[in-house]
Amino acid sequence: MEIDIEKLEKLSNLKVQNKEEIAHQLQDILEYVENLGELDTDAIESTFSTLEGGTPVREDVPVHSGVAQDVLKQAPNAQDDYFIVPNIIE
Amino acid sequence: MFEIVIGLEVHAQLNTKTKIFCSCPTSFNEHQNSNTCPTCLALPGALPVLNKEAVNKAMMFGHAVNATINEKSIFNRKNYFYPDNPKAYQISQFDVAIVEDGELMIDFEDGSSKRVGITRAHLEEDAGKNTHEANHSKVDLNRCGTPLLEIVSEPDMRSAEEAVLYLKKLHSIVRYLDISDANMQEGSFRCDVNISIRPEGQEEFGTRVEVKNMNSFKFINQAINYEVNRQIEAYEDGVYEQEVVQETRLFNTDTGETRSMRGKEESADYRYFPDPDLLPLIVTKADIEKAGNIPELPDEKKQRYIDELGIRAYDATVICADKAVANYFDEVLECGVSAKNAVNYLTNELNGLLNKEGLTIHESPIDAQKLGAIIKNLEDDTINGKGAKKLLEFLMGEQTEVDAAIEKLGLKQVSDDGAILAIIDEVLSNNEDKVEEYKGGKEKLFGFFVGQVMKASRGSANPAKVNELLREKLG
Repeated sequence: MEIDIEKLEKLSNLKVQNKEEIAHQLQDILEYVENLGELDTDAIESTFSTLEGGTPVREDVPVHSGVAQDVLKQAPNAQDDYFIVPNIIE
Repeated sequence: MFEIVIGLEVHAQLNTKTKIFCSCPTSFNEHQNSNTCPTCLALPGALPVLNKEAVNKAMMFGHAVNATINEKSIFNRKNYFYPDNPKAYQISQFDVAIVEDGELMIDFEDGSSKRVGITRAHLEEDAGKNTHEANHSKVDLNRCGTPLLEIVSEPDMRSAEEAVLYLKKLHSIVRYLDISDANMQEGSFRCDVNISIRPEGQEEFGTRVEVKNMNSFKFINQAINYEVNRQIEAYEDGVYEQEVVQETRLFNTDTGETRSMRGKEESADYRYFPDPDLLPLIVTKADIEKAGNIPELPDEKKQRYIDELGIRAYDATVICADKAVANYFDEVLECGVSAKNAVNYLTNELNGLLNKEGLTIHESPIDAQKLGAIIKNLEDDTINGKGAKKLLEFLMGEQTEVDAAIEKLGLKQVSDDGAILAIIDEVLSNNEDKVEEYKGGKEKLFGFFVGQVMKASRGSANPAKVNELLREKLG
């Protein structure tokens, strides 16, 4: 598999300094797990979790956490209890 | 000629009390960011715990559309960066949805109907709301984490009309089930439309264009028609390949046009994978069966009205389309009036007045008990049909009891033989020449006498009684 560093940067929202080195490392990781592809899994049901059982559920009862003000205070920018972010061009 | 192919994705906000993965309230119109907690704000270490009621409502929907409800379904992460979602991924069922392979019937005005397949319905979370200002955007995360049921149809619809009929039926079903407020203006029922065309007879589908986030039946209709014309024109001009590409478009409600939002498509690589924070959703056969205990659905209600009350199919469709109207109708019937009068006074008289004022049945100044009382007075001959209409118009603007209004408007009709006979005698003696003509064979004059008597009684005489007594008098 070809590593497209520019696309990965975009998808992860990260800037990579030494692109070539990172691409090389990622390539090594992919090669390491590539042999998994040799297994014939056609007859096996997909496994979505290695744990037994289903996800726990909770009752539909509202609780006010009361954390909003603390979190807004820590936000890089907030105004009138809105989080403020750089302009998003639609 | 071209065939139009339409598939719809509807997002219905489930009306649970709390969000899908945390206990924050889902109440609408709250102060910005007040309905938030560490989970929906994506603070490190906070984990999602699934709301049982959201699962239950999804299963109810599955039953209503005759679908398969999966005992095991999977929550995935759909990755994207946008400030309306602080986790940078949306939790959504991707690999296996809880509801699969359902159907509903759409009804045409001529009485025919058509089956539309429902591919799947899956649980996911809504995003927050951004408001864009000149040099920054404001983020309110109250809506972030509200449970959504995304209902995906088969590409079974062949016209804008069919698409709108499908949406209306779906809207009606979720309201009857009371699993969603399905308020289009408030955005609790929104729709993405997939549209393509193909030359008639061609097996394979054309290129599909998605128009996003529509929230009115009228706009959906407009957007489909615009998009169909655009695609047909491109085909006929020989530029189909260049101009019709698989993409997301936005509908501009001012111009009635759709435009491309290419920028977003480029990064749309969502890298779905099972959410490690959530094990598979497992429901038991008993859970599924229990969720099957659902209220009467619009189609069932309609059939019952036709069978038990003898209502015309078209009237039954009109009444059942909106749960609020059907409830109102049931309440009117409970007043002990005939179904025929209840249908007529609700769908014609009251509805006409409401439309003129731009009001919904919820906002009607005349509630079901009042309309029932008006019909009751008509049926026991206290007032006549004309009086009932006057009464309705009066009560649209006046909060008065029905009996008091009848008194005030002087609508009580005179059914007493003596009183009517007195008026008849007076009219006949004032028109002796006409009486002679009538007796001489000019039978058309009968209507004239009825009119005169009604006029002399200022509309209060019982018309049936007037007819009867006049016939006796004139022999």
